[in-house]
Amino acid sequence: MAVKAFSDEWAKQFKDEVNKSSVYKSAAKGWKWTVGLVVEAEPDKNFAEPKGVVMDLFDGEARDIRVGPAADAQKCDFVITAPYSRWKQVATGELDATKGMLQGKLKLKGDLPTIVRYTKASQEMTECTTRVPVEWPDEK
Amino acid sequence: MHDPRPSRMARRKVKAKTESRTVVYSDREPSAFASMLGGLIQANVENSAAKKKDFESLAAKVGIWVTDIDEGVTLDFHSGSLVVHNGLHGKRDITIRAEADTVMNLSNLKIGLFGMPVYYDEVGRGVAAKLLRGKLRIDGLLGNLATLNTVTRIFSVAG
Repeated sequence: MAVKAFSDEWAKQFKDEVNKSSVYKSAAKGWKWTVGLVVEAEPDKNFAEPKGVVMDLFDGEARDIRVGPAADAQKCDFVITAPYSRWKQVATGELDATKGMLQGKLKLKGDLPTIVRYTKASQEMTECTTRVPVEWPDEK
Repeated sequence: MHDPRPSRMARRKVKAKTESRTVVYSDREPSAFASMLGGLIQANVENSAAKKKDFESLAAKVGIWVTDIDEGVTLDFHSGSLVVHNGLHGKRDITIRAEADTVMNLSNLKIGLFGMPVYYDEVGRGVAAKLLRGKLRIDGLLGNLATLNTVTRIFSVAG
């Protein structure tokens, strides 16, 4: 059943998908930093308030993924920022996260050598988001 | 406490402000790709004495073109400094053309014995396969193999 985009239910399903992935488990071995996704508001797309997704990822496991204020996500070790519609493109597989970062469509803040070392893990994490059926606010 | 006597001026040593200029960008607005590569090289050079040594020895112009996003950069290495240009510029010693994934994988090549990139592990085999299939093209490879290896070492985040 589809869940509301960037809701608590979405975060739970996303976390489950990440923890089910053997590819992620192996590619993210050694990862020990928090990752924040900032979803910028786009009122014209029925996404009125910015949101933050805080991901506590450790050694191939998603220990916690929760949705809250954007400010919480901005405090993470790595922060990726994009407007709502860009994240929707990522979550529907329309935009590859690596390409998005190289093109500046997703803005990354954090230690570059570390994120580059874990490219495969971040790609698999993107794959995991595409496996969560989502009800998008601009498609209502 | 401030000494009001005229002969006793505070003598604070003023250090010349030395801003780190390892990597500079030629464009007023560097592209995201240019910023990312420049930032990656800056961080690698700052964090590794071996990479710094390589960086200081390298004088070459290297182009990187990402075929699936139609963006590229030119890295102009000047023995200890680097100028990053948006797009491909001028005559280059080496030009690497590959998809985004492959370009990222080049940074994940491990460095083995004698400073040679490792092509026999999973990442290395993937890169070698792309080269054989023409998905990774390196113009200027002949005659610039040592330069390519040095650039790969500077890029590498895997060792």
